[in-house]
Amino acid sequence: MRRVIITILIALAALAGIGAIAVATGDGSTVTKARLERALPVVFANQYAEQARLLGHPGITAESLHPVAMCDKHGPDFPDVGPGSDWICLMGWTDPNVPMPPEGYGKFELNVHSNDCFTAGGPSKLVGFQMLTDTAGRSVNNPVFEFDGCFDPSTDNSPTGTVFPSVLNVASTVLPVDAAGKVGLQVTCGTGADGCAGTIAAASGSTQLGTITYKLKEEATATLAVPTAVPPDAKDVTFTFTPTAGMAPPSAATVPLGR
Amino acid sequence: MTSSAVDVTPAADRGTPGSGKAPSLVSALRWEVRKLASQYRARAVLAGALLGPIPVAVVLHAQSRPPKDTLFGRYATTNGFSLALLILGFSCQWVLPLLTAIVAGDIFASEDQHGTWKTVLTRSTSRAKLFWAKALAAGGFAVVMVVFLSVSTIAASVLIGGHQPLVGVSGQLIGAHEALRLVSVSWATTLAPTLGFTCLAMLLSIATRNPAAGIATPVVLGMVMQLVGALGGIEAIRPLLLTTPYESWHGLLASPRFTGPLTQGLVVSGAWSLVALLAGFVMLRRRDITGG
Repeated sequence: MRRVIITILIALAALAGIGAIAVATGDGSTVTKARLERALPVVFANQYAEQARLLGHPGITAESLHPVAMCDKHGPDFPDVGPGSDWICLMGWTDPNVPMPPEGYGKFELNVHSNDCFTAGGPSKLVGFQMLTDTAGRSVNNPVFEFDGCFDPSTDNSPTGTVFPSVLNVASTVLPVDAAGKVGLQVTCGTGADGCAGTIAAASGSTQLGTITYKLKEEATATLAVPTAVPPDAKDVTFTFTPTAGMAPPSAATVPLGR
Repeated sequence: MTSSAVDVTPAADRGTPGSGKAPSLVSALRWEVRKLASQYRARAVLAGALLGPIPVAVVLHAQSRPPKDTLFGRYATTNGFSLALLILGFSCQWVLPLLTAIVAGDIFASEDQHGTWKTVLTRSTSRAKLFWAKALAAGGFAVVMVVFLSVSTIAASVLIGGHQPLVGVSGQLIGAHEALRLVSVSWATTLAPTLGFTCLAMLLSIATRNPAAGIATPVVLGMVMQLVGALGGIEAIRPLLLTTPYESWHGLLASPRFTGPLTQGLVVSGAWSLVALLAGFVMLRRRDITGG
């Protein structure tokens, strides 16, 4: 029995030794931002063409879509390399039947494995839901709602240069007013290249409440304080956005006050 | 021991099939095959490899929700080729190492268990010849087992799941004929790492002199290697693990096809096999068998 234990220990020690050497000599994971940005559009285009065939959309082929992607792992301050379920890819493509939103992309969530395979989930607004109705009226699986793919670990790893802007969104549905009459607007800055920055002009009816300067990293939320107290009889506050980085709501947003 | 008098290097032993020593290797091999053929365990493994995939395919195909968390699981309930590849992925986790280790992990240690080393070595065969005969028998068994398991899985999956076009790992559709060819080749790629595990099991069989340890340890090592390979941060060692070649078939189902991992897998499996075989050979040659 001692021989058995010694052998097993030696085997495990040998394995650990190999591991130590490999870790000491390099740390390259084959899962990188650039490789995902090249692999995801290929798989997506093929599956999207299949979806178009099921839906009976004519003229859509894998070649006609021209999809491009920008991928990011785990927020802004994190190296975009290695497997994980925290990869997000923004992808834009051309389909006359389904126009892109103003920012020009949809958000895909990826679970990437160390074996260079991944599962991607698409945005329902652009790719539809789990099941779709085909031309024959049957309910079938939507191939782009969720799909699997693998990529060659030796493919080109140079940056693709695809850049998509972050989008600033208003998260507050109601603005609580504090004792001093001050309010704060909660905003989110989504995944994108350079975060969100700019100014927001706040007004309540004809009363100007001042200008807020904002600067957020991508994938962040913030509560922006309105400089001036709101008038006691005000019902809501209207915000007008002037972005200098990233996208912001093109039309003014009016949020009711909660007293 | 007299064996030192007939010391031959392993290469020379194999490389002279026409010489006077060759018939002795053949007869030693014949004995080993005969021992295997009469072993209940070996026959059970082959029967399991041939019949096991049928109920597995039936059960997987009947799932109301496809096992989407595994590659090719998404369409496994609607496509026979996907089903065959799902079972392939599953087999690579521990089934193939276990099935080959059941024979290879026992083939040397059983002589210890039964105390028959002295008996077999007093037959007119050297330790070297006995070693290679056992290695060839275990390797041959692994090949037959993989062939049985592949053919049975592919036949059962396609018959049960149908032969619609397969969705490849680039999202492309692969026609039935090409899909059948690629699925068969994918199954064939498991031969190299399975033979690697065969050699590893033989080494452990020699080292531990215990059939249970010889069978279980390669399976456990395989699982440890898989766990290590799946971890992030230490991926530099992934290519060196014996379980990584089991995933090299993914590239065959991509468009464009890539075979880099496949070549790397062959080299890695070959290196593991060679090191395990040589270590086992040296260990057996240096062993003092006078005690029985």
